[in-house]
Amino acid sequence: MRDSDVLDNNPHVSRSALEAMHGQVFGWALSRCDFQQATAEDLVQQAYVELLTGKARFDGESSLKTFVFAVVQNLSRNRYRRIAARLRLHNRAGQEAATDVVDPIEPGEHRDLWNAVQELPARQRDIVELVFCRDMTIEEASAVMGVTTGTGRVHYDRAKKALRGKLEND
Amino acid sequence: MTDSDTVLRNALRKGQESMEAERVPDFDAVWASAQSTANRKGRRTTVLGGMAAAAALLAVVVIGQMRGVEQDWQFVDPEELASSTYWAAPSDVLLPKHQFDLYGDIPVLIESTDSDGGALL
Repeated sequence: MRDSDVLDNNPHVSRSALEAMHGQVFGWALSRCDFQQATAEDLVQQAYVELLTGKARFDGESSLKTFVFAVVQNLSRNRYRRIAARLRLHNRAGQEAATDVVDPIEPGEHRDLWNAVQELPARQRDIVELVFCRDMTIEEASAVMGVTTGTGRVHYDRAKKALRGKLEND
Repeated sequence: MTDSDTVLRNALRKGQESMEAERVPDFDAVWASAQSTANRKGRRTTVLGGMAAAAALLAVVVIGQMRGVEQDWQFVDPEELASSTYWAAPSDVLLPKHQFDLYGDIPVLIESTDSDGGALL
């Protein structure tokens, strides 16, 4: 970590460390918001703002990656709480919300597997993504999701069973 | 990790990578926007903090002035009272009618103390 790189309000975080994990963080943000590109960009930017202002303060108790992923997770939860309230109003008024959802994956050999993952319950989907795609341990993934390691392990086992079952049936 | 886990991991990762490859925004651009937002927030916090400090200072000054308006308490000085037959109520402003000479101007006593054949009513 270069000294000039360190954030003023977050002495354990450096710009270069964030840059190194930027792609992964963006991917995580993308899956937090149903693959809406603009929303994911907002989420990542907001996470960086939280780190720059010191509102989200990293004290080195976990890995930086786990911490940043958890910040994105919390921001997306807050955002969806607000959106859910707004959507209820929209639905009452009979309007449909505009979205910029993009098809997350091109047709190809992984399409079935991708669809199978998307059909999993939210927590199972999250732990599969964190462990398989983001190189986290079950402990780290559980910390990001805000559940105990035991609960995380249960979601992980169920997700694997469900995925195997779906792929074998197909 | 079992073989089937590895197969699953590889397949998922390929899918994930192909999905994200073209979509990741430039880090420098996102970082610059985040910095400008953070600076804006910082300025807003400074302005709000300054306004709060000014309001607190104003409140202290106003309260201080209100206390200054209060009159100093005056107490009866026994020596002064003993050396004169004249007495005035300590607060002349509030009790202007209560000035009298102890021996010359006997205040009107309330009626219940008038004597009636040697006995008080």
